Formats: sequence, structure tokens, C-alpha cells
Amino acid sequence: MSFSDTLTHSDLDISQLIDKPWITIVWDDPVNLMSYVTYVFIKLFGFSQEKAHELMMQVHNNGRAVVSSGTREEMERDVQRLHDHGLWATLSRDDQA
Amino acid sequence: MSEFTREGGIYSLDLTIDEAHILINLVEQLLELLGEGDFHHHYDESDPFAQLMSQLKAAPEEIVMPEDPVLLRLLPNAYADPEAAADFRRFTEPTLRGNKQRTLRAVREALAQIVDETVSGGVVEDIDAELWLRAMNDLRLALSVRLEINETSFDHFESLPDTDPKKPIYAVYFWLGWLQENLLGLLSQVT
Repeated sequence: MSFSDTLTHSDLDISQLIDKPWITIVWDDPVNLMSYVTYVFIKLFGFSQEKAHELMMQVHNNGRAVVSSGTREEMERDVQRLHDHGLWATLSRDDQA
Repeated sequence: MSEFTREGGIYSLDLTIDEAHILINLVEQLLELLGEGDFHHHYDESDPFAQLMSQLKAAPEEIVMPEDPVLLRLLPNAYADPEAAADFRRFTEPTLRGNKQRTLRAVREALAQIVDETVSGGVVEDIDAELWLRAMNDLRLALSVRLEINETSFDHFESLPDTDPKKPIYAVYFWLGWLQENLLGLLSQVT
């Protein structure tokens, strides 16, 4: 659902296209259940169970994981949706991560 | 102990009156915390007057990073850079806050039927599973900040004497986690 939404969204401009992509990072916290984080990744990003589980384990073991990349506007939307679900997420430029 | 059940795609939750009271009190406390400075939780949202009032509330420049650590956890910064975080917050925080309030109000409404109309508890019927997951998660996040939850908190909870005033709060926190896991288990059987 989210991918088709963002791909058909047409507010891209040239400066965004030549910009380095932005990324959404999910940070580890001791509260969100591992099963809940996996569930949210599947729901919001349409990942397979395996991919969602792998990213959740990255968050858990490395303290963070990049869950999406794209334009700044797209990443702002992803961060908002993650905050809606109580996950701790930020966005940044890829080269500053 | 109460748990969620699913029958024919319909979710329900059988609660004792004590459990219903605990949940509705938590929900209302969090609504109160989220509602500071606006009218969201005093009016029905479809009320045109309430809609008008909510549009008139806090101008963007008045929205700043919350001082309360619970609010900061529920409405976190989206950028590491303070200036970018502040800009983003000014334009997105009302939506995020409103979504959380709406979710909690729906749960409160369902629980109020049991709390106000029964003496021994009852079944919350026709539960919106995804909405309840988000609500329970926000309640757990809020409690976790106050309890300073970390990886060793469960051991700490078990070692606390029963007379410790924080023990029941830890118990509710872990109970909510158990309930959330229970509901996630039911949801994952569908997909």
C-alpha cells in the first residue's frame, strides 16, 4: 500500500531527484515488543515476514536499522507513520547517517 | 487472566471490572496528558464547534518540544538536528497528537460501557484490533517512561516486595505487554 502511494505521489522536483536520498531510521528501545515491531514493519512497508523480522533484529542488536529511503518528503511521511505506531524513528540524509 | 479472543474474524476482550477500571483510568490519564492546552478530549470530534475550536488552537509557532518525558516519547523529534526537529514538529505534531487522542478515545468509549454499566466486568465486543494494539503500545510507552523501564526491569519487578507502591504499576505494565502479545498472536494467525 505505502509503496504505490509514494511512487504515484507527484510532488517531486528536480532538486530532490539529484539530492542524495534520505533515510528513515528506527531506533531500539526496551519497550516495544519484538513481535510488535515486526508487525508494524509488515503493515507500514509491506515487507515479507522474513524481511521484517531481519530488520527488527537489526534494530534490536545494532540499536538501529534503516527501514526506508527516498525523498525527504517520503521519509517524513514514513517517520510520521512510525510515530503513529509508537516506534522511535528519525530521518536524515543518507550521507549523515 | 483476561485475554483477547477471535471468532469469525471478530475480536473481543473479556475483562473483570477491576481490569476495566485499571485500563480506563490509564487511558484517561494519558488523554489528559495529551490534551493539555487544547479541547480535543472534551468534545465529540464530529461536533462542528469542536472542529472549529481545534483549528483555532495553538498557532504553529507555539508548538515546541514537550518538557514532559512521556509526551516527548509519544511525540518524539523526527530529526537529530534541533532546528529541523522543531520545524517538523510545528507542522506535524497536532496530527500525531490528534491520532493518538482519537485512538485512546475509542478505547475509552469501549471500556466505559463496561465500567459504567456492569458491576462484575464484561466483554468488549467487536474490537478494532489494530487500534487497540496502538493504544496499548502508547500506554506501555507512557508507563515505561515513568517506571524507567530497561532490560532488567522484569527481574527488578519480581524482586520488589509486595508492599512496594510501585509493584502494582509494574504489574500493569507487564500485563499490558502480555495482552499486546496475545492480540498480536491472534492477528498473525490471520496473515
